[in-house]
Amino acid sequence: MKTASQSSTWAIIGASGFIGLRALEGLHDRDGIAVRPVVRAASSLAVLARRRLDWRIAGPRDLASLTGALRGCSVCIHAALGDPLQIEQMATVAYQACAAAGVRRLVWLSSASVHGQNPAPGTDESSPIHDRHLLAYNNAKVRAEHRLEKLSADGRVEVARLRPGVVFGPRSRWITDTAADLRAGRAGWLDEGRGVCNSIHVDNLVHAIRLAATVPAAAGHAFVVGDAESVIWRDFLLPVATHLGLSANDFAIAAPAALVAERETPFAALTRSRLYQNLGEHVPDRAKRLVKSLASAWPAPALAPGAWRLPRSSSNAPRLTLEHTLLQRCAWKLPHAKAARILGYTPPVPFAEGLAASLAWLDFAEGPR
Amino acid sequence: MRAASPVTLVLVGCGAVSRLFYQPALLELRRHGLVNILAVVDPRAEARAPLAVALGAAACTKLDEALELRPELVVIATPPALHRAQAEAAFAAGGAVLCEKPLAASATDADAMAAAAARTGRLLAAGHYKRFMPAHRALKTLIERETFGPLLDATLVEGGKFSWPAATDSFFQREQTPGGVLLDIGVHVLDLLRWWLGDPTNYTYADDALDGLEANARLDATFASGASVRLRLSRDWRTENVYVFRFARATVHSRVNASNQLEFTLDGLPMTLAAELREPLPGRPAPPTRALDTNPQAFIAQLVDVCAAIRENRAPFVPGIEGAQALRWVEACYARRTTLPIH
Repeated sequence: MKTASQSSTWAIIGASGFIGLRALEGLHDRDGIAVRPVVRAASSLAVLARRRLDWRIAGPRDLASLTGALRGCSVCIHAALGDPLQIEQMATVAYQACAAAGVRRLVWLSSASVHGQNPAPGTDESSPIHDRHLLAYNNAKVRAEHRLEKLSADGRVEVARLRPGVVFGPRSRWITDTAADLRAGRAGWLDEGRGVCNSIHVDNLVHAIRLAATVPAAAGHAFVVGDAESVIWRDFLLPVATHLGLSANDFAIAAPAALVAERETPFAALTRSRLYQNLGEHVPDRAKRLVKSLASAWPAPALAPGAWRLPRSSSNAPRLTLEHTLLQRCAWKLPHAKAARILGYTPPVPFAEGLAASLAWLDFAEGPR
Repeated sequence: MRAASPVTLVLVGCGAVSRLFYQPALLELRRHGLVNILAVVDPRAEARAPLAVALGAAACTKLDEALELRPELVVIATPPALHRAQAEAAFAAGGAVLCEKPLAASATDADAMAAAAARTGRLLAAGHYKRFMPAHRALKTLIERETFGPLLDATLVEGGKFSWPAATDSFFQREQTPGGVLLDIGVHVLDLLRWWLGDPTNYTYADDALDGLEANARLDATFASGASVRLRLSRDWRTENVYVFRFARATVHSRVNASNQLEFTLDGLPMTLAAELREPLPGRPAPPTRALDTNPQAFIAQLVDVCAAIRENRAPFVPGIEGAQALRWVEACYARRTTLPIH
């Protein structure tokens, strides 16, 4: 098998997303690599169209269109988002499309969440991963990795998997949502933010992507990647507050979510059924999106009457999501020693510098206040 | 308004704007006997056929076929590069034209369209329907009459992650659509600014296009009245989607596309009035009046106005030349653009 080369074209599936777009900017603008963005709809081109690029529109679960989109590429970076079911399906389709199109290496953006948001001390890539996590997303990422391991046994495509943790940077939800929560007075933390934050600035991740695509020995491996520093959530959240003119006092002591497994909605359960999946192959994507949006818009049961409440009541502490609860209880900095050893990964962007740049972007994006 | 007889029309272009806006609007107008939809035109069968069925109209692959039906009005909702030729063909066939924004691919083409309309004595209306929104009409009155004192400055932020269901990537190909967010949503705002404040006396412009189409744009302008305006547009990230007007004695917030709503913060009053705009109350005890036009109703109002203008042989509320001038400002912005930093 040949080694992936920087002189050929690299496809980025999901190039309009936060990570995909940053990867495109880093690889194309900075490294001069010929990059082919692959997006699922024309509307995803809005930001990509700032550059004249040889883009393709292809569904990440549509084998025929994805294969066509990948032809002529030697590397495929998979950064597309999806719900748990889509994540699993995308792994299979991505591998098969790469194989059919002659792509030599697939860089699969997995997640540190395959180890759980609160991994046991000592966890690293050698720790077994399982699909019994409380979060369906984690389980989907695990199953996707398992599918890729199984598929790549045929040797047609080299697969390198990256497991980033909390990816932050310009456009990241960790920046925008935190700022929005602080402004809305609904920001909260557990134990004053003393939990470990397995952060990684997006440019460090792009650096890891570059290495995973080019280092011959990366094939067949999964790599945890993160920032160089050991960071706690307070290190991350407090500078955002300070930047907005707020302080630690603006974080309430949050109510943690109950540690119970996410329950699928009846609609999600239906979508996992064999009947639905068989039928789904014959239903246009537009119709599927319509059904999904109708299902999600279905009215929730009425809450208790809220008329007899104090306005702006502060009696309800912010309730963290299950994901945030687990993340903020984390006590283990996932090591990236394996990435350092095999890929030569050394994160180029210091955490503080990355956070400052992210906040500078926030100012830029929000414009006049 | 009830026209003497329904205005016969054809709809050219069966993309997202036709499906999402013109289809329901035209069905409503036909229900009221204001229009008779003769045909829809689009080279793509998959776009043309469902719209033809929904509107009960003939499906034509080419404009020429539809013009043989002698429509009184041709509604053009195609990529801007096609507008000029289609409008000129419509005028030559004796039809009036309502053309979606931007009026053309260039100000030169837009001027040519306006000249063709004048030469043939046909009506050309620009699809700047946001002028029909009650909130925008109210703002024009507040600015002109200085109800709260003179306008000091305005900050307008609009946009969000792009979600328009574009059927093809022509929207992002410079050859088909010669501008990004400024030409797309910005041309509406520039048209409104000209309508409210006249032509700017000075302005600077910056965007983030590299060798393609901009996703973020910034315009800072001053006007003859002394008012300054900051405009921020994005297809990239969520914005507040609000226009803020600071008058001498009040601040008015107008949420984007909240057609019949305004928020007033009056000096000396420690609260904000979030108002639904309604038909005026008489100066005597009376029940609440009807709410003014919503966003879809403002879109319908433009079509009603164009139909009435045809019947009454008058100019439409937003004549083509206004669309040409908004487009000229867009082009002037591009000509003097500086580059926004990419973070």
